[in-house]
Amino acid sequence: MAYKPSLRRKSDELDMELDIRPVMNLMVVLIPLLIASAEWVRLGSIEINVPPSKDAGIGSDESQAQAEEREKEKRLGLSIAITDLGITIAGPGAILSGTDNPEGPTVPISADGEYDYQLMKEKLIEIKKAIQGKGFKDENRALITASADIAYKVIIKVMDELQVFETDEEILPLFPEVNFSKII
Amino acid sequence: MAFQPSKSKKNLSKESGTLNMNSMMDMMTIILLFLLKSFSTEGALVTPSEQLRLPESIQGEKPKKELSVSITRDVIMVNDIIVATEADIDEDNLMIEPLRQRLAEYARKEVELQNTVGKEFTHVVNIQGDEQIHFDVLFKVMFTCSKSDFYKMRLLTIKSGA
Repeated sequence: MAYKPSLRRKSDELDMELDIRPVMNLMVVLIPLLIASAEWVRLGSIEINVPPSKDAGIGSDESQAQAEEREKEKRLGLSIAITDLGITIAGPGAILSGTDNPEGPTVPISADGEYDYQLMKEKLIEIKKAIQGKGFKDENRALITASADIAYKVIIKVMDELQVFETDEEILPLFPEVNFSKII
Repeated sequence: MAFQPSKSKKNLSKESGTLNMNSMMDMMTIILLFLLKSFSTEGALVTPSEQLRLPESIQGEKPKKELSVSITRDVIMVNDIIVATEADIDEDNLMIEPLRQRLAEYARKEVELQNTVGKEFTHVVNIQGDEQIHFDVLFKVMFTCSKSDFYKMRLLTIKSGA
């Protein structure tokens, strides 16, 4: 026996719209609030390691022992000096000379007064590749020093370039740990 | 004499219609999500001005609110209060004396807080420098900070897109 057709089929479809006005009110309040507290400028903060020479000043026995221990470690001591002539890259016993002028800085300033960050990075990548895996304790560390009248933004730019370098497969740290040294 | 009723309006039926707010809701939702994403609860860390333009950098973590030392083109401020001017910076001496005194004051307060309520003294200072300031000023400020118990220094920069 067939079932009797459902009577419900005949019921009217419920025609009702969702009342979205309260939601709209909420939005209108929330949006100005969030705009007011939004971060329009993204800030970054770069951590600086205190220059090691400053803290090693007090000559207690312990720090002396530490200093001796430090002496034994294999250290690279890479330093980068920024002057108004250009950027010089140096190690404890040697200065990387420029390609054109052996007396001048490693990366001379270009004709229009700009620093050649790209060339500096190339030289540093060369150094990094040469020293990688040779057991230097400070293979990620670089000491930045500059003349008194070098602008802050140049220093920040140099520090940017010191962060990473790309090989074919991966991105590796270049010399991300930055120290500052005295004014030259 | 009364006016004759308008013939054209006689047969006008009230047109009923509702505003379609769906698309507007979509838009609002997207804006809301976008704003929530850029929401910051810490408030403004820096007040940029003509004298204090932070340099751009690609690196850096998200800054936290800490004691701030601002180096503008003419003055040095600690927590937005001027402590030293250009004249206070000694040519030969690395220490900036007024800045050291003010920082020592803050350090003492922090130590006091640590001892009384247990708030940890982080030794962190945010340094905001104008992009034009010279290295010697920056170095002297950093030297002074490290000598007055604020030896964890962070340089604030504006993050550029790259």
